[in-house]
This record gives sequence, structure tokens and C-alpha cells, in this order.
Amino acid sequence: MSATLVLLWIGSLLLASLVYLLFRPGAESDDDSCLHDGNSALPSARFADRRKEQLERIFGREDWDFIRGSTSEQVQRLFLRERKVIALAWISELRRQAKSGMHLHVARARTSKELQPVVEIKLAVDYYAFLAKCGLIAAIVLLGGPMALRGMVGQAGSLSDNLRGMLDAALKPEAFSQKTGIR
Amino acid sequence: MEQIPNQPTSIAVEDGLRDLQNRTLAKLDGDFARLVYLASTRDYNSGRYAHDGLSFRFTEEVAERVLAEAHRDVFVSLAQRPMKILVAQLEQYINSGCARPDEILTAWHELEPFRILAPEHDDPITVKLFISNIRVALAIVRESWRENQRQ
Repeated sequence: MSATLVLLWIGSLLLASLVYLLFRPGAESDDDSCLHDGNSALPSARFADRRKEQLERIFGREDWDFIRGSTSEQVQRLFLRERKVIALAWISELRRQAKSGMHLHVARARTSKELQPVVEIKLAVDYYAFLAKCGLIAAIVLLGGPMALRGMVGQAGSLSDNLRGMLDAALKPEAFSQKTGIR
Repeated sequence: MEQIPNQPTSIAVEDGLRDLQNRTLAKLDGDFARLVYLASTRDYNSGRYAHDGLSFRFTEEVAERVLAEAHRDVFVSLAQRPMKILVAQLEQYINSGCARPDEILTAWHELEPFRILAPEHDDPITVKLFISNIRVALAIVRESWRENQRQ
């Protein structure tokens, strides 16, 4: 019984969030700026390799193994502190891109004449699940200390893939351009 | 009628890049020296690149594009290298004789001039990663230099 109530509560929360995103006051001006900045929200294909390298550098074990094997404890502490800051900045950048993508999507959705509620709800669920995953990884990085950073490249990679998939779904240009004339 | 500024052709830019590589960058000792050199061709105030030799052989527009591209390439390549290689590159630069190693190490540690080595970049995380990596690499090189001085 209590599980059903929790699920109902989560469902209502997601629906309320979707309604808020679509009709919140002041959304117009935000959305306009995102429309201009829309391209920067999309992770471009030409950065794909660089992103992979970046993930390896930030979350991989190679640098840490080198540092641990050949430097003093002071340098090791500095390295872990620096990596933690970079990892958090990377997660924050992913969140920024996701938010930009969603704002752009909402701006288009508001002018769409044939809104598909099921697709919108699915997208909203994906979006909040993504933000929750970002928060979880940030918390692990923040609280988990040195051990948390090691070997997190897989988690970070899947987060990056999630973002790409979500933005692809949210920003399908042909879907909205046919319905609204926005290109 | 307003004149449209000349856009450098890709062939001219390729020629310019080859020229820059053969005449200048090839003579510099390591990617770190190349990065410092390329960053120094950018005006602090305007952010625009300038190089008399390249401008003379090509045009100012071509020179600017060539320097910006070369700067970005060297930067990205250094920013994503493993720490072990970055430390070796930094050591090579510090020992290249451009200044006394202890002076460079102290100035770089205190003033962090490497912050201005990054080009105008579209990816803030790469810039942050580069600055962070240099900070750590510098600490490693300082430690190793002090160790050598003691022996």
C-alpha cells in the first residue's frame, strides 16, 4: 500500500515538474536565449574523441597509478584535490548541457500544436533521472574521497551517453519543424 | 559599398601551417615550448594573433588563422596527455635554458602564468583540466628538482 502511495507521489511530482517547465513564468526569456545558444547545448560529434580522452584523464586510473607510484604524499593529496574539483566541474557541465537542451525542447514544445504527452512524460522522467544520477555521482566524488574517483570512468561514460541520448530525443529538429515551422 | 573582409582560403591556411611548422615550431624544444611560443603571439588586449614573418609571406588574416589553429592543436594535444608525459614535457621545457630552473619553478608556482597558455577555447573543462594538470606536474617537477639539489 505504502509503495503504491510512493509511486503515485513520484508520478505526481514528475507531472507537476513537467507542467511547471512548460508554463513557468519568465520561461519565455530563458527559452529565447537558449534558442540562440541551442547549438552549444548539443555535444558535437567532433568532440566525441576528445570527450573520451577527457573521461580517461579525469576518472581513469592511469594518472593516479603514476602519481601514487612515484610522488610524495603531499603531491598525491594535491592531485586528488585537483581531480575532485575537475570531476565536479565536469558533472556540472553535463547538467548545464542537459538543462540547456531541456529549455530548448520546452521552448519548441510550447509552440507545438501536436504535443505528445507520453513522449513528454518519458522525456521528463529521463531528464530527472539523469539529474539524479549526476547528483549521485557528484555525491560519491565529493564524499567518497580518493577511492571514489578511481575507476569511475565507466559511470562517467554512461552518464555522458545518457546525456547524448536524451538531447537527441529532446532536440529532434524535424519533429518540431514540421509542426511549428521552427528550424 | 562596404568591403567584405578577406576570408583566408583553406589552402592558404594549410600552407601557412606548414610554413609555421617548418620554420618555427620544429626548432622549438618540445610541445611545451611550442605552446608558450604560440600563446605569446596573441595580443593580451585584443586576443588577436600576429606574426610578422607569416603576415609578410601570406596575409595578416592567414597568419592569424594559422597561429590560432596551431595554438589550439598544441594545447589540446598537451591538455589530454597522461600526467607522466606532461611531467616529462614540463621538465624538458624547464631545462631548455630559457631561464634558470629554480626561477621558472618559483614564478610558475607563485604566479601561475600557465593560466594564460590556453587558447580561446570552446570547451571549459579542457582548459580547467590543463591548468589543474600543470599545477600537479609543476609540484612533481619541483619536488624532483629539490631532490636533485640535495644530492
